[in-house]
Amino acid sequence: MKPAPFEYHAPESVDDVAGLLAEHGDEAKPLAGGQSLVPMLALRLTRFAHLVDLNRVAALRGVSRDNGSLTVRAMTTQAAVERDAEVARAVPLLARATPLIGHFQIRNRGTVGGSLAHADPASEYPAVALALDATFELVSKSGTTRVAASDFFEGTWQTCIDAQQALVAVHFPVWGGRCGFACEEVARRAGDFALAGAVAAIEVDDAGAVRRAAVGLFGLGPTPLRAHAAEAELIGEPPPTPDGYRALGQLAMRDADPVDDVHASASYRRRVGAHLVARTLASAVEEARQAHDPPGAARAR
Amino acid sequence: MKMVTVTVTVNGEPRRASVEARKTLADFLREDCALTGTHLGCEHGVCGACTVLLDGAAVRSCLVFAVQADGADITTIEGIGGPGGELSPVQAAFRDAHGLQCGFCTPGFVVSVTAFLRDNADPTDEEIRDALSGNLCRCTGYQGIINAVRLAARAGVR
Amino acid sequence: MTTSPLQTAGRFVGQSVKRKEDPRLVTGHGRYVDDVTVPGMLHAAFLRSDVARGRITRLDVAAARECSGVHAVLTAADLNDRPAGPMLPSMFADGSQGISAPVRPLADGDVRFVGDPIALVVADSRYVAEDACELIEVEYEPLTAVVDFERAADDTENLVHPELGSNIASTMATPPDAALDEALSRAAHVVTETFYQQRQTPTPMETRGIVAHWDPYAAALRVWMSSQNPHEVRRTCARILGVAESRVRVVQQDVGGGFGQKYFMPRDEMTVVLASHLLGRPVKWIEDRRENLLSSNHARRDRATVTVGVDADGRIVGARIEHLEDSGAYANGGTGGTGMFVAMMFPGPYRIPRLGWSTTAVWTNTCGRGAYRGPWMMETVAREEMMDVVARAIGLDPLEFRRRNVIGRDELPYATASGMVYEHVSPSETLEQAASLIDYDGFRSRQAEARANGRYLGVGLGLYIEPQAGMGALGVEAANVRVEPDGTVNVFVGSGSHGQSLETTVAQVVAEHLGVDIDAVAVHQGDTDVAPFGGGTGGSRSGPILSPAARQAALEVRDKAIRIAAHLMEAAPDDLEIDGGVISVRGTPARSTTLAQVATTAYQQSDLLPPGMEPGLEVISRYKAPPVMYSNACHACTCEVDAATGHVTLTRYVVSEDCGVMINPMVVEGQIAGGVVQGIGGVLYEQIVYDDEGNPLTTTFLDYLVPTAAEVPVIEYGHVETPAATPGGYKGMGEGGAIGSVPAVFNAVADALAPLGARVNRLPLGPSEVLAAIEAAPAR
Repeated sequence: MKPAPFEYHAPESVDDVAGLLAEHGDEAKPLAGGQSLVPMLALRLTRFAHLVDLNRVAALRGVSRDNGSLTVRAMTTQAAVERDAEVARAVPLLARATPLIGHFQIRNRGTVGGSLAHADPASEYPAVALALDATFELVSKSGTTRVAASDFFEGTWQTCIDAQQALVAVHFPVWGGRCGFACEEVARRAGDFALAGAVAAIEVDDAGAVRRAAVGLFGLGPTPLRAHAAEAELIGEPPPTPDGYRALGQLAMRDADPVDDVHASASYRRRVGAHLVARTLASAVEEARQAHDPPGAARAR
Repeated sequence: MKMVTVTVTVNGEPRRASVEARKTLADFLREDCALTGTHLGCEHGVCGACTVLLDGAAVRSCLVFAVQADGADITTIEGIGGPGGELSPVQAAFRDAHGLQCGFCTPGFVVSVTAFLRDNADPTDEEIRDALSGNLCRCTGYQGIINAVRLAARAGVR
Repeated sequence: MTTSPLQTAGRFVGQSVKRKEDPRLVTGHGRYVDDVTVPGMLHAAFLRSDVARGRITRLDVAAARECSGVHAVLTAADLNDRPAGPMLPSMFADGSQGISAPVRPLADGDVRFVGDPIALVVADSRYVAEDACELIEVEYEPLTAVVDFERAADDTENLVHPELGSNIASTMATPPDAALDEALSRAAHVVTETFYQQRQTPTPMETRGIVAHWDPYAAALRVWMSSQNPHEVRRTCARILGVAESRVRVVQQDVGGGFGQKYFMPRDEMTVVLASHLLGRPVKWIEDRRENLLSSNHARRDRATVTVGVDADGRIVGARIEHLEDSGAYANGGTGGTGMFVAMMFPGPYRIPRLGWSTTAVWTNTCGRGAYRGPWMMETVAREEMMDVVARAIGLDPLEFRRRNVIGRDELPYATASGMVYEHVSPSETLEQAASLIDYDGFRSRQAEARANGRYLGVGLGLYIEPQAGMGALGVEAANVRVEPDGTVNVFVGSGSHGQSLETTVAQVVAEHLGVDIDAVAVHQGDTDVAPFGGGTGGSRSGPILSPAARQAALEVRDKAIRIAAHLMEAAPDDLEIDGGVISVRGTPARSTTLAQVATTAYQQSDLLPPGMEPGLEVISRYKAPPVMYSNACHACTCEVDAATGHVTLTRYVVSEDCGVMINPMVVEGQIAGGVVQGIGGVLYEQIVYDDEGNPLTTTFLDYLVPTAAEVPVIEYGHVETPAATPGGYKGMGEGGAIGSVPAVFNAVADALAPLGARVNRLPLGPSEVLAAIEAAPAR
């Protein structure tokens, strides 16, 4: 199980990355943490004549906060996100999703940008980015493009990034007010890709009614999904009853499109997906109702 | 075949070799450095037998190309204990708690646990199990391994 | 955590001695087959079929042969006429054990499963060999594959092996039994249920591998192989090359697990030997994980329909088992038929006065079946799952139903309806100890409270008797105990330890019975040039067969040392004792000599020996075991099922076992734990899946799910010690952990699901299957 030959490039600036991608086009692939790409190369499920390693581009690492958003540069490792107090304060959902990714050895190498660009529909970060309406910053020789999360994910392992572009940063909106967040999944074993998962972000008003709601689904379709119908049902309403949450879970599955595989049937995924939506919503609403300190000041667990 | 030169420090010793860019760090350590304690159990990043410390971080060496480690400081299982064969506290705990049988997965566990206890000297049982879940063992049923981590933590790993 | 009577603990035997293997293994200085490098060594990779059944219409290796760094691209045309003898395990090579699949080095004209080797590339590196595999052009005419093992026997149109004329590999049955029919017709209750066990694979963490070096100048073969059984490898190599066994040296070093997969010499390794023989170069082949999941022998995949009759008091009056197993295309080990053992062991630890059985093994276009820790375990799986089904059907608690039927100590020796005679076993005691340790009654009340709160807890038992075969080639082991002139001891054994700690446990036995410190004993195995001929390690045999050989050799050496010392000291042999390598007069420790002095005398001052005594201080002893030996155990586990997600959490796990005299309790418990977690994997996680066309869907560790530390409970142990009648009183126990755990976990889940009306009869029970069972339950 050895990869096919390739030519290796280790640019040290974003400009050089863009230059290499412009030069080699479809024959080149950016190499981020390699935790998904390298196995696919080793299994010879995919191959590229050129690998453009992003690991030596210092400008692609780090987290910063400005103007109501948190910028996570693409090569920031999942381990760095996990340890970053600013991430936990500003985008609690990102922080809480991180420990569910693989294992600590994987998170030491795996990156935020790599995970999003790989776009596995069963992984956590794409659902978080979609639910929070993150913005993706892509760079090519012809300049910088910003893409909304809703336009980013096009299919299983497919995004709108073209062969000339590299994902350099992701901007997550920081939610203010009384907010709550939750991320839950069911996986076969610790660290496995989710059979089904849900993330929820909720803001409530002073009266405790839901002002803003975002529900992201993973493992429940060919891409990460938003449960728009369930979100709409929540907004403007007081906190649901337990039966209400169950109904919202069912409603969310209207937006799901899961498949059968060796690990679980599609009907299993629907049923568990509904359950997880209900649970994450209940947990996020409760957290929001307990919150008094804006903005985005969910307590670290 | 185009070759690239890789210069690294492994267990404190400088190493230099000319390799194909596609050569994994694991194969580089085993073949070019003759450090065969790093084992390959799956070569697709699941089993953890090939875990090494790359600039201090526990990583799967089958998922890193040797060329990517150019300039890095690497610790393999051979560098965990003392130079005269003295066992590190983690290694001694694995022996004392019967944390191994066939021994094939053991280097990956020892390296992973060494990094884990360095960052979390007094873990809970749940944290121990979570930390171990990135390494597969088929012999022990994990009982001895979990006990070994507790034992090493109690022994006060640095 | 351990309750251990240890009635027979000695100075070393019975002690949890730390392992001699560990210092090298925990520091990365073990030596496994992939660590072997030989000057001039080449690297091999197989091109394998990606079609389950089909004719090869074109095979073009020209481009691969042109590839830089490639030394040879071998196909059937190059290799298939080279084997000088059958490519089968030695015990099956004479054809007396039934029909075997027609094994050839490489696919010749057709392919019979996805993974069937078509070509072998030999190159400067594995990287280059894999590059060249991609350049080989193969075209197939696909044929309808036989995938469903339940329909294979009836398929006379599509034959896995056309040469054999049928997809039935073997079939056997008891003759009609009017007394059994009568017993069942008069029974108060008759229950029938069908159980399925899924296809699994052993997945040792080290895959298979070999370095084969045919030296044409010496006309000798040297092999390093990841094996459980070096002498079997030597015999096989000699047979397929047509050379004398004395020209073949096999070295088995550290081995990263096997669990049966490495007991016989697999086809691919034989092909690599043939390639080295053809090329005259050392060739290394290390199986990668995808190959291991695709084409290393699979295991399990059984169906059993069981009928049990019970009287009004809940006592079994008779039973029938109809067993079907999937042999795959190329079963490793004859037909791969375990059915005979399934039938013979089906009564297990219970009084079943009459038994009828049938068993059939079928070929399919899938990876072949091979040994895996408890290869015949379907007897325990079907019986123990059935015990719970029957108990529920007649309204008895499963523990009580077992109590009414378990064989008691006062009934021994007990002859089962299948003709097995049990002695020195303790099924009733282990049942009671396990029930007590898991607080069975207390659990039942907590379970009832939990159910009232909408939580679903379950408890399951798995009671079994584990046979160890001592017949024929499996029944003899040898130990060579040699005291060196300085008084230290080298022991050579024909085992094939691949994690079983034999370097430690054999040393314990020798140190105990020779009278030396354990640090003075070094155990060597795996090199056929120095080890006595042996049967390797497998079938739970090293404990009960190898240990008596080591014990006997140590005692004989001790006896000779005493006689020499008595002569030198002018003392009576009966007055002397050996302890820590010092031989002294009992009660007068000042009158002493050392084993070193005695050994030096034995080798270098032979004139001082007693008249007529042969010089030297070394014994080879062979021990012949009885045809069958038995150990036994009871597993008990509790679980909680999340009815919303189908997720099963194991909350407690208890094993009460009786392996006779324990040589090293730490090692015994380690073996149990490892087996239990393989069984947990077999119930909750692991499954090899093929689609309807015979394409495997589980060829990476992301799909074939081996349990991790996060999925397993704490395992608690209880020990009952009933010494075997054999020397030392040791019994085998390597496989049992994997056997009893499957029904124990299954029964716990089924018990938790029972109040929901959900029934299960198939493995595995992943969350999707559990939820499906709940959804399929009749409305309550």
